[in-house]
Amino acid sequence: MPGFDFSNYNRNAALHAQGVPLPKATSTGTTIVGCIFDGGVVIAADTRATSGPIVADKNCEKLHYIAPRIWCAGAGTAADTEFTTAIISSNLELHALSTGRTPRVVTCMTMLKQHLFRYQGHIGAYLVVAGVDPTGVGLYTVHAHGSTDKLPYVTMGSGSLAAMSVFETQWKQGMTREEAVKLTSDAIQAGIFNDLGSGSNVDVCVITAEKAQLMRNYIKPNEREVKQRDYKFKRGTTAWLKEKVITREEISKYVTVHELSSEDDVVVVEKMDIDV
Amino acid sequence: MFIARSEYDRGINTFSPEGRLFQVEYSLEAIKLGSTAIGIATTHGVLLGVEKRVTSTLLETSSVEKIVEIDRHIGCAMSGLQADARSMIEHARVESQHHSFHYNERLGVESCTQAVCDLALKFGEGADGEESVMSRPFGVALLIAGIDEEGPQLYHAEPSGTFYRYDAKAIGSGSEGAQAELQNEFHKSLTLEEAETLVLKTLKQVMEEKLDSKNVQLASVTKEKGFRIYSDEEMSVVVERLPTN
Amino acid sequence: MDSLLGSNPTLASNPAYSFSKAPYNSAADNKEHAFYPYTDNGGSTLGITGEDFCIIAGDTRSTSGYSINTRYSPKVFRIGGDDETGEGAHIILSVVGFAADGTALKERLNAIVKMYKYQHGKKISVKACAQRLATILYGKRFFPYYVTAILGGLDEDGKGALYSYDPVGSYEREQCRAAGAAASLIMPFLDNQVNYKNQYLPGTGEGHDLEPRQALPLPRHDVEQLVRDAFTSATERHIEVGDGLQMLVMTKNGIEELYHPLKRD
Repeated sequence: MPGFDFSNYNRNAALHAQGVPLPKATSTGTTIVGCIFDGGVVIAADTRATSGPIVADKNCEKLHYIAPRIWCAGAGTAADTEFTTAIISSNLELHALSTGRTPRVVTCMTMLKQHLFRYQGHIGAYLVVAGVDPTGVGLYTVHAHGSTDKLPYVTMGSGSLAAMSVFETQWKQGMTREEAVKLTSDAIQAGIFNDLGSGSNVDVCVITAEKAQLMRNYIKPNEREVKQRDYKFKRGTTAWLKEKVITREEISKYVTVHELSSEDDVVVVEKMDIDV
Repeated sequence: MFIARSEYDRGINTFSPEGRLFQVEYSLEAIKLGSTAIGIATTHGVLLGVEKRVTSTLLETSSVEKIVEIDRHIGCAMSGLQADARSMIEHARVESQHHSFHYNERLGVESCTQAVCDLALKFGEGADGEESVMSRPFGVALLIAGIDEEGPQLYHAEPSGTFYRYDAKAIGSGSEGAQAELQNEFHKSLTLEEAETLVLKTLKQVMEEKLDSKNVQLASVTKEKGFRIYSDEEMSVVVERLPTN
Repeated sequence: MDSLLGSNPTLASNPAYSFSKAPYNSAADNKEHAFYPYTDNGGSTLGITGEDFCIIAGDTRSTSGYSINTRYSPKVFRIGGDDETGEGAHIILSVVGFAADGTALKERLNAIVKMYKYQHGKKISVKACAQRLATILYGKRFFPYYVTAILGGLDEDGKGALYSYDPVGSYEREQCRAAGAAASLIMPFLDNQVNYKNQYLPGTGEGHDLEPRQALPLPRHDVEQLVRDAFTSATERHIEVGDGLQMLVMTKNGIEELYHPLKRD
């Protein structure tokens, strides 16, 4: 059975009526923007994710892959933006396969709005869709209720006003790629510094007919300073009541154990080389 | 005594052309009719002593209250119209409680005296024409004794609203003679016990009746015990100690 | 029937509606206009005492919702100073919560402390000032000053003194206290690093016999470092904390003010 599972709906409504609070979703407070330039489009986002006033993730990714030359910036409920873009990406790929054509931005936008409209705003995804397709450059905003706009420069999220103030004072027709990247990252920085829901770094994605280039952490204007003190505890500081050593033989009953040499002992934190 | 002093002695807050407030001056006269009260400040504590006028053999002497507690660390002796003293003492007690409630510390002795004196001039209508609390000046003077972080202190508060700090002070009908005696006998190294004797000796000289343990009353304020009125037994001990003549 | 449906005139007069919510004209309804006297201006404060000093610190950001009102609005004040600069003050106060109430409270306490000096001819002690602040707060029990206050200074023995309050005047003398938006982030850090909570002396025993690490008053330098780390960390994880760190350090030589920039995002 595809789609959402509503089997807990009545139970949750009853619990809520009795005073049990609803779980708090992570919101991407967020500043996201998009701007077209001569030969392409650029979108950008901040990297702060919040849960109420608490920063849940200092360096999250709000630029989502849809298709090789279509990317999407998401604001609103983190889970909704991630799943909605993934679903549409999936469906767009199937659509491309069955039609044998490169997917269009307008198609992506239409699928998104129809999906969101069906859920009457309950899916809290606010998106900026951008890309280049055989018809040219596309840049749209899609709201959670299903409405869309097609504009040369757009902003969304709680930092949209701060970001828009930059566009409204500095945007001009027929910008170069470099100018557009500078303008969008400036707009994001306006959000980062003036909107509490936005913060940390600037992610940028430039899409032209040739390729889409994601520039993860394009600007890092908020590096943390070195701490004044060292908080390393002396060994044996923490009290314990029972000690149990689990041998490799014992744990091998449940999981596969691999021996790692010191050369293998390199943790890959992030693999980000998406030049499609 | 009652010379017609002109019409300026009628309005209680009207200056005479010579710049005097006759009603306030008359109130000072009322004190001179009162029983004698003496206070002595030593380095160990302050001592208060009063004479009780036992006007009748049928009078229960313990009902004559001329030394009262204001707070654990402040006491006061009075001379003049006792009824007037009640409202001043009530005010002082409220002020002291108010201070410890708000500041979690004891009210200073000077601040307590100031608070009492602030009340002294609240006769006549106020500056904005509001009804006055009192119709005339107080007819009583107080000797306020207490201890705070500044040490033992003795203050004299008058109906005029002025107050001064003293090492030793006598008020009331026998005050002139008593003050002269204190002037001669007081010295800085007086002990509390010596002060007890000095107070009673001085009272004895100025009292019309013969002094005994029933017609005088002593009280002390010390760091250790705070304000304390002497019991009948303690009074007898001190009276016994007096040189007979 | 009329009384049952009386609240909805359309339903009452037109029984043709079978569903419970008949269309109604919202403009015709009486609108409820409420007065909201409080706002939350975010930010955090923190106080720690040592043997012969007391530090109270606060970030300087003032917020409303997702907006920054200003990047420099001090939350820590000198109380009992001779003039507007606070020169000559011997008590420090921090207020966090509703900034307007904070300002009003600080002004009022300052005036009272000045009056105390005039009336009693001496500087008010921190203990007395602490009690007075409690009565001021409780005086508005049913329309409170929406603030968490921390009062600091040196006690009669010259030791660092710190008092923390709730909005209606319940107070307590403590070694350290964090208040405001990031209090729940900073306080556990302080418990661990100032009072050494959950820290044991290695090798002193096993299980329950392990000896807890005894807390001692920290030197000023260490406390300043802890305060700075507390605030840079709170800035990382709380959106309402940032821009600047203001610190007032009270010693027998008077009050020193320190400022360190914090992240502005």
